[in-house]
Amino acid sequence: MSYSDSLDQAITTVKQQSILVQRSLAQRKLMDALRYSSIMLTELRNPKLLPKQYYELYIMIYDALTVLSNYLFENHPKKHHLADLYELVQYAGNVIPRLYLMITVGTTYLKCPDAPTNEILKDMLEMCRGVQNPIRGLFLRYYLSQRTKELLPENEVALNSQFIITNFIEMNKLWVRLQHQGPLREREQRTKERKELQILVGSQLVRLSQVIDDNLTMYKDQILPIILEQIVQCRDIVCQEYLFDIICQVFPDEFHLNTLDTLLETTLLLNTDISVNKLISTLVERLNGYLKRIEQQEITNQSKVDVFDVFWNYLNKLNEERPDLSISQMVSLIEIVLNLNLHWFPNNFENLNKVYELISTKCNDFDNNIPKETEFVFLNILTLQNFDFLDSNFYFKLVIECPAYSSLLSSQNSNLQTAAINKLLDVFITADNFVIDSKTQLESFLKLCEPLIKMKLKRALANESSPTNQSSNHPMDPFVVKNSTNVGQSGVSEEKQKISRENIDDLLSFDPNQEKLSKFIHILFNSVLKSTTFKKLESQVEILLIIKNWLYKGGKNITFTYPSVITNFWRLIRKASLFMNKIPKKKPYYENVIKQNFKYISRCTTEMFNICGAQSNDQVFKIILQTASLADQLEFGEIAYDFFSQAFTIFEECLTDSTTQFQELIYMAQILQRTRSLYKEDYYDSLIVRSTLHGSKLLKKQDQCRAVYLCSHLWWATEISSLGEEEGVTEDFFRDGKRVLECLQRSLRSADSIMDNVQSCELMVEILNRCLYYFIHGEEYETHVTVNYINGLIELIKTNLKSLKLGEEAQLSELRIDDNPRNVTKNTLVNGSDGNYVQIGDNNMNTTSTVLNPQSKLLRVSDLIQVPIQHFHRTCKYIVNQRDIDPRFETIVV
Amino acid sequence: MLLLALGDAHIPDRAIDIPLKFKKLLSIPDKIAHVAILGNSTRSSEFLDFARLVSSNITIVRGELDNATIRDVTDEGSKAEVTLPVNAIIKQGQFKIGCCSGYNVVPKNDPLALLALARQLDVDILLWGGTHNVEAYTLEDKFFVNPGSCTGALTTDWPVTSTLAQPSSDKASLKETEKLGKEKEDPQPDTSDKDMEESEEKSTKTGQEEERELEEEDIEISEFDLTGSNVPSFCLLDIQGNTCTLYIYMYIDNEVKVDKVVYEK
Repeated sequence: MSYSDSLDQAITTVKQQSILVQRSLAQRKLMDALRYSSIMLTELRNPKLLPKQYYELYIMIYDALTVLSNYLFENHPKKHHLADLYELVQYAGNVIPRLYLMITVGTTYLKCPDAPTNEILKDMLEMCRGVQNPIRGLFLRYYLSQRTKELLPENEVALNSQFIITNFIEMNKLWVRLQHQGPLREREQRTKERKELQILVGSQLVRLSQVIDDNLTMYKDQILPIILEQIVQCRDIVCQEYLFDIICQVFPDEFHLNTLDTLLETTLLLNTDISVNKLISTLVERLNGYLKRIEQQEITNQSKVDVFDVFWNYLNKLNEERPDLSISQMVSLIEIVLNLNLHWFPNNFENLNKVYELISTKCNDFDNNIPKETEFVFLNILTLQNFDFLDSNFYFKLVIECPAYSSLLSSQNSNLQTAAINKLLDVFITADNFVIDSKTQLESFLKLCEPLIKMKLKRALANESSPTNQSSNHPMDPFVVKNSTNVGQSGVSEEKQKISRENIDDLLSFDPNQEKLSKFIHILFNSVLKSTTFKKLESQVEILLIIKNWLYKGGKNITFTYPSVITNFWRLIRKASLFMNKIPKKKPYYENVIKQNFKYISRCTTEMFNICGAQSNDQVFKIILQTASLADQLEFGEIAYDFFSQAFTIFEECLTDSTTQFQELIYMAQILQRTRSLYKEDYYDSLIVRSTLHGSKLLKKQDQCRAVYLCSHLWWATEISSLGEEEGVTEDFFRDGKRVLECLQRSLRSADSIMDNVQSCELMVEILNRCLYYFIHGEEYETHVTVNYINGLIELIKTNLKSLKLGEEAQLSELRIDDNPRNVTKNTLVNGSDGNYVQIGDNNMNTTSTVLNPQSKLLRVSDLIQVPIQHFHRTCKYIVNQRDIDPRFETIVV
Repeated sequence: MLLLALGDAHIPDRAIDIPLKFKKLLSIPDKIAHVAILGNSTRSSEFLDFARLVSSNITIVRGELDNATIRDVTDEGSKAEVTLPVNAIIKQGQFKIGCCSGYNVVPKNDPLALLALARQLDVDILLWGGTHNVEAYTLEDKFFVNPGSCTGALTTDWPVTSTLAQPSSDKASLKETEKLGKEKEDPQPDTSDKDMEESEEKSTKTGQEEERELEEEDIEISEFDLTGSNVPSFCLLDIQGNTCTLYIYMYIDNEVKVDKVVYEK
């Protein structure tokens, strides 16, 4: 008898023979049936069949043999005795058909109560040794296993497991041997085939698990050691990986919990080419799954084995015994254990610390030489971003209770650090529910942020490499300069201007990292304020200083971070002032606290000024003015005056562009106009005179003009409602109409002297509007802005507008100021408060204006002359309308 | 057409973010046609990105703490330094809407000074900021809207409602007073005033009872005492033809409250 050449043919043969077997059995011709079976089984001798093909045939044959088996059982012992048949089939010519038939008969015999079970089982197992070809042997033994599945004697666990183990061991050997058959170049093909066959071997362990059920002692003492021994001894990668995985999957959780160390130990003995990570990961997943399962079943009395400890010991051992493992492998492995710990003991930060310590050590072993492709593992380890069940509280504790975490973080490259810290800060910024109880805790957080604090911003870095490093070479302390004599000041200024130009490109409007850090400063300080340890204002100040000093390390970055600190100083000052008012006995104490805080703010602004370079000057100037304003509100006149002086120093020392100067000066005027505590010692007077003087010395005439008419308000205090002041009721406003008028006159002179008659006219209209402001505000004897003066100004404007019109030859039509603007032109151009032109599109769609400076070539003269004309027109209309409310307006001639 | 007016966010220097409930309200795509940012809001890229999500039409004017330029996407789509204007005008329906941050209006927050600016800019509605106090009123047929600070950030100016004013002139009656020649529709809710009165009451009571030495811990300090600011707020202007309906959103005790004022040209 021979097997078919092709699979199709073989299938046909099997089908035919299987029908013949059934037919013979129906006719009760057992011998024929056995003969047909034998022919059918011959197909399983084909050495050319691939595992899948072999399996296909096997399934068909299995079904046919089941029919045979059923017949044999039903007719025993009436027609035949199975013991005889067992002998009979031994005479089959070929070993494969013979053994399949023998197992079929033998296992049928097992169903009979009087059968010598043990002998049959033993004999079948023995006989199977006769097939040593891997594929054929594996299937034969699989057949044995399948046939005996329901028939192993009850209550004979030891015996049964012995039977299965023996079969398993032999199958495993066959399976491993398959690898080494055939030519070397077909190795990969072999491996592929083996993976297709693995389930046959694995199924034995499934059977084993079913047989031993919950017998832990037996598993632990007898079964597992044998299986592991087989796995270790075969030294085969495919086998070791697969079977380890199967062990983890098929045996109960409790078994693993109790044999963890053995399992882990085994991984150390395996082929070193095996990915230990994969094995450990499977095991950890299984254990984490167990945790979920018992949670679902709400089994509370489960004693938690200290799985971490076992894994921890293992890690250390692995670390010692496997120096060949790369940092990536090792760290991924540690990550797996981290995963385990986070699931099992999420609140055990001691464990976490150990883990991070180990990673640190490992990094040091590799000189912190972390391959690029491993960085994501580090990022995961540092952010734990895959564990969505961790809350902000966890991260809080991570930072304060795991020093190793922080030191690991700080040893990473800056990109990694930044990414990790950002992630952490995101958690903290959105959570805001933790309390910082000690300086040590605070320092932990500050240390965490250190990389962001010290981060070199790209453009700043580029500048640093340039030869002129201004900050160290030219300390620009405004207070030093202030006290020095005027000699050489212009020289310093020139130097500064040169530097400032170099630094213009240096400017970064914002940096996302610094923004985050800045936000975090508020969170950090608030969490300190929540603590009972820092209830006292004084201790809060101290904390803020600590924060400030850490941020100081950031160099130029303080331009981003100091404002947050200053904000908190302002808050502390307001708080102190509240305490001062409520606890009169301690007034001197709080006064001192407030003064100290103002000094700290001054320290901050000085540092910003000195370190950040020219780009921060405007910011520093504004912060100083705001601080001055606050000091004034709290009646610290001296301090307010000092801050105003500082602001002036910056204004005077830093020659910035005229636009910046103009807006700085206006802001100064706005703030000064609302001060109330500077009247002593003529502080106020000297400051406002100085402002106005600066205003009148601005580079551009139009800026001079606007600055001075705005400065007129410095002699005309208005109500501050939160002080309870009220126009018309409050009588002691600081007002000096004579000086107001002087300013307006001075301003008008500037306007008049401007050669550009469009600008000149526009400014005069603006001054007219100022005059009207004062006209509404008071009687002539108070404001000194008389009807005559206003009427004179209107006449002047009219004359100028006429000549303006005359100058414009294109428009010869009669100029009438009461023209409807829409008839004259599409009035799309106005003058903004800073002198730039604001132009709006003509269409009726949603549009936004564009800003054009007066020199812009886009401006047409015909449009330009309409600007003052229409502004004047609107002003006159306003005057006319006011007559209904205030009869004094009747006297103004328009 | 909806125009969103926001101002004085002061993120990250003085505030962390706008209230989450505000964010949720505003995070409806394609609802708001235009965003006007009235100063002191450009130091946070996160905030600007948020505003850009609300609407791609953004008008930003410069506040005292904004840099003269910001890095922004230009019309060509590339990033470049864009100069922030001091004034801007938005044309919408029959309205011209002026924007300014208020830091170069002298005297600060003065209705007549603002009126002069509105006249100079030839606008019907003037949006201004810088006071951290939401306000809206009509004056000389023009509509003045200050959306307040959208974060309720600290202001170094005189507190909006204050117990900080010096104890000597303590009788601060903070009731809004009618100002000269000004018809005022004050939409500001009574709550802030009430809060104020309550805290004042408390302080006088403790003052009377006081025998033993007060400690720092005994003194209750509200957030407003420290910020000097009003509650976080912003404004939405619904412009239809010659009617502008103003919605004022305020964040009071973790709730968003809305007020409505109608202005017709």
